[in-house]
Amino acid sequence: MTALRKPGRRGIERLLVVALAAVALALLSGYLVTLLHLVLRGGKHLVAFSPDPVPLAGSEGERGMRMALAAMIFAALTWASLSLTRPLVARFAPAWESMSRVRLAIVALVALASALTLSDHLPPFLISLPSETQAGGGIGPQLFNTVYLAVLSTVVTFPIGLGTAIYLARLSRSRWLLRSARVALDTLASLPSIVYGLFGFLVFVVKMQAGYSLFAGACVLALLNLPLVVGIVEESLRNVPREIEEASHALGATRTQTILRVTLPYAWPGIVSAMVLSVGRVFAESAPLIMTAGTTIARANAYSLDPMRGGETLAVHLWYVGSAGLAPDRAEISAGTAAALVVLVLLTNLLAARIAEKRGKPGKRLRAAVR
Amino acid sequence: MVSQPIEALLVLRRPRPIAVRRLRPGDVAFRGLAWLCGIFAIGAALFLLAFLAHAGIRGLIHAGPQLLTGLRWKPEAGAFGGVPLLVGTVTSALGATVLGALPATLAAVWVTELAPKGAQKLFRRAMEIATALPSVVYGWLALEHLVPEVDGVAKLFFAMRPDVGGEGLLTSAILLAVMIAPTVTLLSLDAIGRVPPAMREASAALGATKLQTAFRVIVPHAKSGLVIATFFGFARAAGETMAVQMVIGGARQLPETLFSPTTTISTQIVMDMQNARPGTPESDVLYAMALVLLVFSSAVVLTTKAVARRGIA
Repeated sequence: MTALRKPGRRGIERLLVVALAAVALALLSGYLVTLLHLVLRGGKHLVAFSPDPVPLAGSEGERGMRMALAAMIFAALTWASLSLTRPLVARFAPAWESMSRVRLAIVALVALASALTLSDHLPPFLISLPSETQAGGGIGPQLFNTVYLAVLSTVVTFPIGLGTAIYLARLSRSRWLLRSARVALDTLASLPSIVYGLFGFLVFVVKMQAGYSLFAGACVLALLNLPLVVGIVEESLRNVPREIEEASHALGATRTQTILRVTLPYAWPGIVSAMVLSVGRVFAESAPLIMTAGTTIARANAYSLDPMRGGETLAVHLWYVGSAGLAPDRAEISAGTAAALVVLVLLTNLLAARIAEKRGKPGKRLRAAVR
Repeated sequence: MVSQPIEALLVLRRPRPIAVRRLRPGDVAFRGLAWLCGIFAIGAALFLLAFLAHAGIRGLIHAGPQLLTGLRWKPEAGAFGGVPLLVGTVTSALGATVLGALPATLAAVWVTELAPKGAQKLFRRAMEIATALPSVVYGWLALEHLVPEVDGVAKLFFAMRPDVGGEGLLTSAILLAVMIAPTVTLLSLDAIGRVPPAMREASAALGATKLQTAFRVIVPHAKSGLVIATFFGFARAAGETMAVQMVIGGARQLPETLFSPTTTISTQIVMDMQNARPGTPESDVLYAMALVLLVFSSAVVLTTKAVARRGIA
């Protein structure tokens, strides 16, 4: 009624809606443009394959690392293009849809072939050592350290996070313990990451005399990720329908059997996406790593698997080069490092979202059984 | 109490349960393992707090009340006045909240209430990626694009002063606003998503327009959630380290203007840890400062969480 009596009101309202939309779209497009800018600005360093073989720098394990990187890049590309074209090909050859083994074999073959032939022609930026003062430094060791640190910290986070989540969601009988575990995890989740860095420095670097090492960094990151992982895993365990667990009990399965064979497989997508998200956080974290894993790369053991050596990750490298670097091409190095980081974080996020979408849908075995 | 004898009778009559009740070694071991993991989580939190408190309290005793009242921070000269650090942390985080939280909340309202249907998924995905971007990437971007702009503006106002430039309080506040806006948006989206759809329908049935529904029904109903989202953003801004370190200038003094370089607690910890030998008073005082930051941000987060639980229940 008021709208009828005051004709001006409608116009104002429409104006307000438009203003709101403008704010929201500005926010959205701002972040999207930022992402695009980051990828385009430094992306050329990530795809500049070199026609001539890149000389080895003489670090231990360098050749293996190159082959692994080539295999990973081309396997991922093949897999992505196969899954993108799958619906299209299946329209002409319906059998293609069910030939997942063949697709896997193609991916494996491409990985093997590219590791053998292309490993010396990868973009030099991705496989060469960083340089403190001269132009042309790369991020090979940083890339390796980032991935290796993610593996190390996941090895710690996965079992402990899974166990804690199972205990909290299904096994705990004491309410007191349940509540204190929740308070503990909430506290851990609320700490600024710099506090983790101080703790890691004091405990692992100084008290345990591990020095600046990947081991110390991995332990700190595992602790940092624990609340996130437990939170997501517990939620996905709680979302498992009671009926299917009761059905398992009714068939005579023990509690352990039910959890291992019914609850966990059902909640598996949630568990995996929690792990992928925690890996993304390992890629992104910098402050705690500066204080535990250090900011240096040693030429001799740049690619060594020894967890007791120190080493910087991509994020730390970006901070160091961006704020204190001396190389003449530091702007380009920063741009390339930032692009590599953004690509890694984008991949982990999209992967986690894709896996999480499978939540609650029947898996391969069930589909086969029903058919 | 009343039902107990009946229960007992039932147990007597019932054949012994075979699978579930009997204590199997496997079950006990599995439960024990999971229990150990839970205990580990509690222990880790206690251990972490105990270690920090141990070093921090030593630092507090060494520095004394000047840690919260002194104006001069110069660890190499034994001066531990924490006021510039505290002021820098609180003002930059507050500025970020003022600049970042309002657009974020408004965007969340538009996306859930007024936008076309497909927009929310895209918006959520974009914001998730924006929160996941490393803070150093934001810091580097700000160093590249924001600092020169702010420098130009600063030179307009304070052309005569050499200490005023692109690196300073305002730049950090803008950068932090950009960094916390996605977090605030995501949490606000969740808060608005929890408003029962019946409220929306009732409002529409009374003849309200979408805009009226959004601001007179949805926002008041989700108010506590929106406030919590803003507080989380504030806590995140206060704890942020590396991005701020890159653009705040690192001058250990109170900022005189919006464009003056200053410092924050976390920034100063990272910078001074590189010089402080572990176990010395200088290092202990940094732990004390971390303790202050920890108490501050945990207080913000835990209170909002407690309020949130009560609000939902």
